[in-house]
Amino acid sequence: MTDGGAREDRDGLAAGASSGQPGGRLDDLITAVALGDERAYEVMYDQSASWVLGAALRVLRDPAQAEEVMQEVLLEVWRTASRFDRSQGSGISWLMTIAHRRAVDRVRSERSHASRELRAATATIDYDDVIEAVQASLDRERVQRCLGSLTALQRECVGLAYYSGYTYREVAELLDVPSGTVKTRMRDGLIRLRDCLGVS
Amino acid sequence: MTMPDHELHTLAGPYAMDAVTAAERASFTAHLADCEQCREDVREMREATARLGLAAAVRPRPELREQTIRAAYRTSQLGPFAASEVEPRGEDTVASPAAAARRSRSRRPFPLRLPAASVLAVAAVLVVVAAVLGGMMSSAMEQLHHSQQRDHMIAAVLNAPDAVMLTARISTGGTATVVMSHRERAAVLTAHGLAALPSTEAYEIWLMGPTGQRSAGMLRPQSGGMAGPAIVIGLRTGDVIALTVEPASGSRTPTSVLVVVFRPRH
Repeated sequence: MTDGGAREDRDGLAAGASSGQPGGRLDDLITAVALGDERAYEVMYDQSASWVLGAALRVLRDPAQAEEVMQEVLLEVWRTASRFDRSQGSGISWLMTIAHRRAVDRVRSERSHASRELRAATATIDYDDVIEAVQASLDRERVQRCLGSLTALQRECVGLAYYSGYTYREVAELLDVPSGTVKTRMRDGLIRLRDCLGVS
Repeated sequence: MTMPDHELHTLAGPYAMDAVTAAERASFTAHLADCEQCREDVREMREATARLGLAAAVRPRPELREQTIRAAYRTSQLGPFAASEVEPRGEDTVASPAAAARRSRSRRPFPLRLPAASVLAVAAVLVVVAAVLGGMMSSAMEQLHHSQQRDHMIAAVLNAPDAVMLTARISTGGTATVVMSHRERAAVLTAHGLAALPSTEAYEIWLMGPTGQRSAGMLRPQSGGMAGPAIVIGLRTGDVIALTVEPASGSRTPTSVLVVVFRPRH
């Protein structure tokens, strides 16, 4: 073989598949799922179902509905894994975007205008069911700490939008702040959060 | 009603958190196609919002696992090839290479989905890969480029207009799937259910063609006998992709029987 020296480099490139952080691993799982790999799908479920359920539960506050959303999302992932484009973001981001959008779409169709109350937005979540895995608690701690680095208004804007599924106009109404201000606070808050989490 | 561009720009933050109405979502999604900065902004902000979701993780009831997975297996997947194509998914998913080749032959051609910029990026990456393989880059630079190269290569192969998917059983256990594109001169290989090997042995990928056989790297199983995606670079017309069991350090030429062989039709 003439290119024996090159083999090691290629090897390194191929071996990159198995190395790296959980995020990189999820990217590879999604690619395998796109190829119909059932085992990969099961591993992906075990890794990410709790993320999807948790995000849906925060938005919907109804376990039965959150479970339905989780199942819909995991099914959508199976169906559309081939649409995952790594150049547009990580697998975690792809998955959680699908999850959050579904939860938000559902909460908005459920939520009647009359029942939109700030109370729902500030209700605390029941931590009894919160997953105890070390990784999850580390994530939670880090996110809490980074949310703490936001200004109060940024934090409220991000929280009401992400965890309660309100539009920026609704957030503006709830907080009695101009909607233009809310838009920029959401943006600034997310950028600060991104920098703090180191996930760009 | 459409918003002016400067107005749309300010929606990036709310959009990244789905804090927009359906109409705004539609306008901003359309706007993204023309605004690279907005795409980048949204991409970065979504990496942050995803972590807001992760931090809320809650373990699902165990019985949901079986239900969800069974429902998925009854559902057709969108093929990796065409945006609009829905491929029926049946018993032949784990099919012989011949059956898979039949399926792929009957697949009609479709337009390339990657934007021109991505194609250029892929071309650039291929140049970088060549440079890496030629030993022209420092190892630090290699490290930096590896993960990006992988991402681009995988996307390029899966989206190539001539991509062909083959699935075959591995004689020593498990199933391997390969998507190959002669246009990209590359293939992506994944496997599951691989038999565990003693630490002195490893799976090695080979390209075998009229001009000889070249190692295309090792395939390292992870948990549950899953491996890949491994990128096979330097695919040439007439090449066969094969897997063998070799000493852990790899071999210069295959020394064992081929445990799986993919023979593309041309």
